[in-house]
Amino acid sequence: MIGIGVRNLWRSKLRLVLVALLIGAPFFLLLVMQSIGDAVQRQTETLKQNVNNTLQLRARGSMGHVNMVGNEAILPQDALAKIKGIEHVARVEPYLLAMTPTEGHNFAMIVGVDPQDTRRLESHGEAGNPKILFGRDLTEEDRGKQIAIVGQGVAKWAGIKPEDTGRATLTLDLKRTHPVIFALDRHPVTLTVVGVYASGYVFGDMQLFMPIDTFREVYGVPEGISWLYVRADSAENLPAVERQLRAMLGDVADIISPTTVAEFQTTATAAVQRLANGGIGLAAALMVVVVFFVMLLVVRERAWEIGTLKALGASDSGIVASFLTEAVLLCAVGALAAAILFGLLGGLLAQLVFGLGVSPFLPSHYSTLANSLSLSPRFSAATLGILIGACLFAALAGSAWGIRQLVRLSPMEAIRHE
Amino acid sequence: MSDRAANGVQAPVVQLREVTKVYRKGAQEVRALDGIDLRVESPGMLAVVGASGSGKSSLLHMIGAMDRPTSGEVVVAGRYLAALGDAELTGFRRKTVGFVFQSFNLIPNLTALENVMLPMEFNGVDKHERGRRALALLERVGLGARATHRPGELSGGEQQRVAIARALANDPPLVLADEPTGNLDSKTGQVIYELLEEIARERTVIVVTHAEPLAQRAKRVVHIQDGHLV
Repeated sequence: MIGIGVRNLWRSKLRLVLVALLIGAPFFLLLVMQSIGDAVQRQTETLKQNVNNTLQLRARGSMGHVNMVGNEAILPQDALAKIKGIEHVARVEPYLLAMTPTEGHNFAMIVGVDPQDTRRLESHGEAGNPKILFGRDLTEEDRGKQIAIVGQGVAKWAGIKPEDTGRATLTLDLKRTHPVIFALDRHPVTLTVVGVYASGYVFGDMQLFMPIDTFREVYGVPEGISWLYVRADSAENLPAVERQLRAMLGDVADIISPTTVAEFQTTATAAVQRLANGGIGLAAALMVVVVFFVMLLVVRERAWEIGTLKALGASDSGIVASFLTEAVLLCAVGALAAAILFGLLGGLLAQLVFGLGVSPFLPSHYSTLANSLSLSPRFSAATLGILIGACLFAALAGSAWGIRQLVRLSPMEAIRHE
Repeated sequence: MSDRAANGVQAPVVQLREVTKVYRKGAQEVRALDGIDLRVESPGMLAVVGASGSGKSSLLHMIGAMDRPTSGEVVVAGRYLAALGDAELTGFRRKTVGFVFQSFNLIPNLTALENVMLPMEFNGVDKHERGRRALALLERVGLGARATHRPGELSGGEQQRVAIARALANDPPLVLADEPTGNLDSKTGQVIYELLEEIARERTVIVVTHAEPLAQRAKRVVHIQDGHLV
């Protein structure tokens, strides 16, 4: 009887096309909604990555530079261990900072960092890890050694040529002063410059990074922290981390926070995500309902055939197997047609559907999201598998529901059934 | 084809005792058959004649296990149908009865040959044997050359001949025909009469008909009116 079910697939080309279209249309729509959902998800992940979910802590009322007039106060060392223990804190990065006078740009920034941490730039903390142009970056092996990397502005001021990187030296005279820099009673220190970086802007290129251990030794700061960057595990948890930090540190620290931005982005992306998920849910429900009723109709219109098969001596289980086989094949043809059509036109239609069906419901600041979303006609094997599974389930359920009622009738009742 | 009792008296292939069939149409009760007694010997053709709604088709359906009576006893080929479960009734229909419908009821996506092979497939006959026997049956009804045609490509008379060949597929002792010429013109109907008459020489054929010419060819004619044999 399974063979009869297979043959029944081709009983009429027009019927096959119509049923495949009826099954394929909601399947196609679901693929489109799924691609929109995926694109929104990807966009959301990108937004989350780009959202600054890092807090900056400095001693209260101070810039935290160890030789800057009136700004030399730094955070207590034990703050580091305490903050690491706060829930949702993903990373803590301590910096030590000083300044040294230069001719060209008045002064350069001297930064002590843990070698594995981000090289943040003065006033542009979010623009981390500038690009190394020559030589190499700092490594764990550099801890405690008199080694540094410098911005290309510092390199130019110090007369360091690219080909000299690794051999060139730079001497810090800690007794030199400036209207905002006071002298430290310490010996000059010569550092080997192992790398030159570019940051993309002039002040960023006027910095020197050395291992934090080296900084402590050079500037005589055995403990304490100039700046402490605290990164939350997600933008959503940033406000909670900030609340705990304020409760813990009280008046000791200023907290420079992007919380408002993070909250806004989190709320907005969550709204878009919910809308996209709602669309997928509706498309899935539409597909299940349409496929169920199409298959129910396919069975019901052939009640006379079921009655005839029963009159000819076909077993009920054989009839059921025949119709379920046909349902599976019709569903597979519909799904295949939809997948091929989606591959050909999916990106374009997803853009259209997003523009007509999703965009109007978004906040105005998301009006251009459709252009930035990568609405490509892609779907993973897992996605296709789940969709085909849902489609098959609906097809089998619709078919089985119809047959269940008809095979229980006598042959003549089935033949007369309308 | 026929059974004989131990005393030499021919056993009936069909025996109905006090068979009643009551349908419900909403609150209304319709007595399609009302205490029918009937005995049919093999071979030969029995014609059941009656007006529309007299109960003649219902009678045929009871004999062919297409429907169950409300009360009474139906014995066909020695089997008490009331004692059979659904699966046994399916087996009974498959092996004991060949049914010819007024509107042919051929499966539209199957060829004439495949339609005739279908009951044999249900009966577990292997594919090669099915094909051989089906072709022989189509040749017998004069449609050997039309074996690969689908029902939509055949005339009404040809379709009914395919349906008759299908009814004979499992070589049943009993063929039931419900208004077999009802959808055919008189000339085409004549061909069907001759075919059924020929079949009735070797087995029992019960025909429900309006057509007087067909009834005249029957060995025996029974009239039915308001669910009673008269």
